[in-house]
Amino acid sequence: MRNSRNERQLIIISLLALLLTLLCAASNGDAKFNSASQSESFTAGIDEHPGEKIPLDITFLDESGKAVTLAELITGPTIILPVYYRCPNVCSVLQTRMATALQKIEQTPVKDFRVISISFDEQETPEMAARSRHTYLTAIRKPFPEEGWRFLTGDAAAIRRFTESVGFRFQRRGADFSHQVVSIIVNKEGVIIRYLYGVTVLPKDLALAITEARSGVAGKSIRKMMDFCFTYDPIGKTYVFNLLKVGATTVILCAGGFLAYLLFTGAKRTTSSGEKP
Amino acid sequence: MIPVTPAPSSFWNDTGKTGISAWIFSTDHKRIGLLYLFSTFGFFIVGVLLGLLLRIELMAPGRTIMEPQTYNALFTVHGVTMIFLFILPSFPGAFGNLVMPIQIGARDVAFPRLNLLSWWLYMGGALIVLASLFTGGGPPDTGWTFYVPFSARTGTNVSLAVFGVFIVGFSAILTGLNFVTTIHRLRAPGMTWGRLPLFVWSLYATAWVQILATPILAITLVLVMAERLLGTGLFDPGMGGDPIMYQHLFWIYSHPAVYIMILPAMGVISDIIPVFSRKPVFGYKMIAFSSLAIAAAGSLVWGHHMFTSGMSDTAVMVFSFLTFIVAIPSAIKVFNWIATLYKGSISLEAPMLFALSFILLFSIGGLSGLILGAAATDVHVHDTQFVVGHFHYVMFGGTGFAFFAAMHYWLPKFYGRLYRERPAIIAWALMFTGFNILYFTMQVLGMKGMPRRYYDYLPEFANLNLLATVGSWILATGLVILLVNLFHGLLKGEPAGTNPWGGASLEWSTPTPPPTENFAEEPVVTHGPYDYSRTGVP
Repeated sequence: MRNSRNERQLIIISLLALLLTLLCAASNGDAKFNSASQSESFTAGIDEHPGEKIPLDITFLDESGKAVTLAELITGPTIILPVYYRCPNVCSVLQTRMATALQKIEQTPVKDFRVISISFDEQETPEMAARSRHTYLTAIRKPFPEEGWRFLTGDAAAIRRFTESVGFRFQRRGADFSHQVVSIIVNKEGVIIRYLYGVTVLPKDLALAITEARSGVAGKSIRKMMDFCFTYDPIGKTYVFNLLKVGATTVILCAGGFLAYLLFTGAKRTTSSGEKP
Repeated sequence: MIPVTPAPSSFWNDTGKTGISAWIFSTDHKRIGLLYLFSTFGFFIVGVLLGLLLRIELMAPGRTIMEPQTYNALFTVHGVTMIFLFILPSFPGAFGNLVMPIQIGARDVAFPRLNLLSWWLYMGGALIVLASLFTGGGPPDTGWTFYVPFSARTGTNVSLAVFGVFIVGFSAILTGLNFVTTIHRLRAPGMTWGRLPLFVWSLYATAWVQILATPILAITLVLVMAERLLGTGLFDPGMGGDPIMYQHLFWIYSHPAVYIMILPAMGVISDIIPVFSRKPVFGYKMIAFSSLAIAAAGSLVWGHHMFTSGMSDTAVMVFSFLTFIVAIPSAIKVFNWIATLYKGSISLEAPMLFALSFILLFSIGGLSGLILGAAATDVHVHDTQFVVGHFHYVMFGGTGFAFFAAMHYWLPKFYGRLYRERPAIIAWALMFTGFNILYFTMQVLGMKGMPRRYYDYLPEFANLNLLATVGSWILATGLVILLVNLFHGLLKGEPAGTNPWGGASLEWSTPTPPPTENFAEEPVVTHGPYDYSRTGVP
C-alpha cells in the first residue's frame, strides 16, 4: 500500500536523522580523547610535516636481516607505524588494533596499500621483528600476504633520519621509551599524506587515508565521493562525517527524484479516484 | 462542529458515522481540514491571549502585571505557538485540505491516511510543546528562534519544546509530499496546469518549500537537543563549534518558512479578488509563476537575518541583493491584483474587505521589509520593535487577514450557511483600525530605538506604547465580533446555496455542503477558474 510505504519511509528518515546525530556526537567525543592524550607528552611528540617527502634511500634490515631501502617497500600508499617491538603497552595495542582494522577494510594489501612497522629502538634485532610479524599476521584473521606488512629494524643513524623526516620525537627512558602513538600514511613517492593519532585505528579512517594517498591513481570517483562526505578535522585529528553537506545533498536529490518520478513515470491518472486506482 | 440541519447527503452525515472517532480517524480531506482548522485556530486564540498579556505588560514602563522571567517566557511561547502551531500549518492544513482537492476535481488527496497521520503528528507535536510549558524547568525563554548559546544553556524546558516542533515539522513534510502528488496526479480531466486555480498554484509552491526546507529545521533542532543533552559542542567555540552555524541553519529553514506562511495567503487573495471584481484575474500566468519564483528566490535570502551577526561584507551584500530580488515576484502579484480590480465591478463584502486590506497591509510589511533587507538601514533598526512591527504586518496583516478572508469566503461552502454581513464588516473595520494603531506604532517605536524583547523601556517611549496597547484591545474586540458572527452564522444562518459569491472554480459547482466524494460524478473541466462568462454566473 502506498500509505504504509510512506509511513515506513518516515520511520527510516527519522532513524537516519538520529543516527547522523549520534555519529556526529561520537566523532566529537573522539576528538576530545585525542587532544587529552596529546597534552600528556612533554618532550615526546609529533611535529607534523604533511606534504613533505621522506627520504626513500634510508636502509633498514628486514625480518631476515637483509638490507632493504624504503624505496623498495613503498610502492603505493603505505602506512608506517613507528614502534618498538618490546614495547610493553601502546605499540602492541596499536599494532593489534591495526591488525583488526586491516581485517575489515576493503582494499587489497600489496596491490592497494602496504603496512610497515619500523622500530625506533636501534638495539632491536631482525629476530624480534620476525616474531612480531608472526604475532600480528596471525592476529589478522584472514589470509594476509607477508609483503603486505613488513617489520623493520635499523641502526641509530637510519632511525634518526627517518624519525626526523616525519617529525617523530621520542625519548629513551631506561629500557622503554616515551613516545607518541601515531600511524603515518605516505603515498608512493613517500610524500606524507596524513597522521592518524591514537591507538584506536578505525577501518574508516584507515580506508579514507589510503584512498587519499592514492590521489591521481585509479579509483578517482570513489575518492571524490569520500572527499565529499568526509572532511579531515585538523583539531580533532580525525576524519569527520560532513553531516550538513551530505544531509543537504540527500534531501535535494530525494526531492529532485520525487519530482522526476511524478513528471516522468506513469501516465497521469485519468480518473481522480483518491487512493484506489 | 455539527451544523443544525445539514443537507441530506453532505460529508457531515452521508457516511453514517458520528462521534469523535468519526473525526479523529477520518481520512476524508474535508474532515481533516476542519480538524486542522479548529486545532490551529485554537492555538491562534492562545497566541492572541498571550500577545494581549504582553501588550498589557508593555502598557507602562516598569512592572505592570508580570515579572521579567514571565515576560521572557510569554513572548517565547507567543512566538512558538503562533509560528509553529498556527501560521505554518494552518493554511495548507486547514484550507489546503478543505478546498484544494475539490478545486482540482479530485475525490480526496493522493494519500488520505498519510493526511490523517500528518494531523496526528501535528497534534502530537503541539501537545509536546504544550507539555514543555508545565514541566521541567518551566516554559522556554529563548524567543521562538532558539538561538544558541542561550538555548543550549538556559535551564528552562527548551529540549522538550524543540522536540515538539521537530515532530510538527514531519507533519509539514508529509502534507507537502501529499499535496505535490495530489496536484500532479489527481487533477480531473481537462484540469490542465493552466486551469489550476491560483490557490492551488500557491499551495504547490508552498508544498515544495515544505519538502525541501523543513528537514533542515528538523536537523537543526536535533542538533540543539544534542548540544543540550549530549554536550556535543557543535555550536560552542570552546569545543571547536560555531554559534553562527546555528543561525545559518535556523534561517535556511525559517526564511523559506515565512513563504510557507505567506504563499497560500497570496493564493487565497488571487482567488477572492477576481470573484468580487467580477473580472478574470489579470496576468494569471505571471501570478502562478511568481509563486514559484518567490519559493525559489526566498530560499536563498536567509542571510539577511544575520547582517549584524558577524558575516563577511561580501556575504552581507550578496544576501542583501538577493533579498531585493524577492521583491520582484511579490510586486508582480500586487500589481496584478490591482490590475484585476481596475474597471472591475467591485463588491465590498467581507471576504473582499479582508482581501483588500491584505494588499495594503502586506505592502506596508513588504516595503518595511526592504528597509530591513538593505544592509545599511538594517543596522539601525536591527532587533528593534521595527522588526516586530514589520513581521506582524506581513504575517498577521498578510497571512492572518487572508485567513479571515478565507474563513468568510469558503467556510459557508462547508457549513452550508451564511454569516451576517453587517457585523462582519464592523468586525473588519475594528480589526483593520486596531491593527494599524498597534503595529504601525511599533514600527515608529523601533525607528526611535526601542529594542524588541525588552521587558522595560525608557519613559520617552511610554505614550506610544500605551497607544499600541489600546490598538491591541480594538483589534481583539474586532476579532471577538468576527468569531461570534461567523460561527453563529455558520451554525444558524441563512442557507448559503451552491455558489453564494458567483465563483467559477470547481468548488462552487458541487452541492453545498459537498458530499464525501466531493462530486456526484467526476467533473470534466472545460474552462479556466476565472472564466465567469462560461459558468453561467451573472
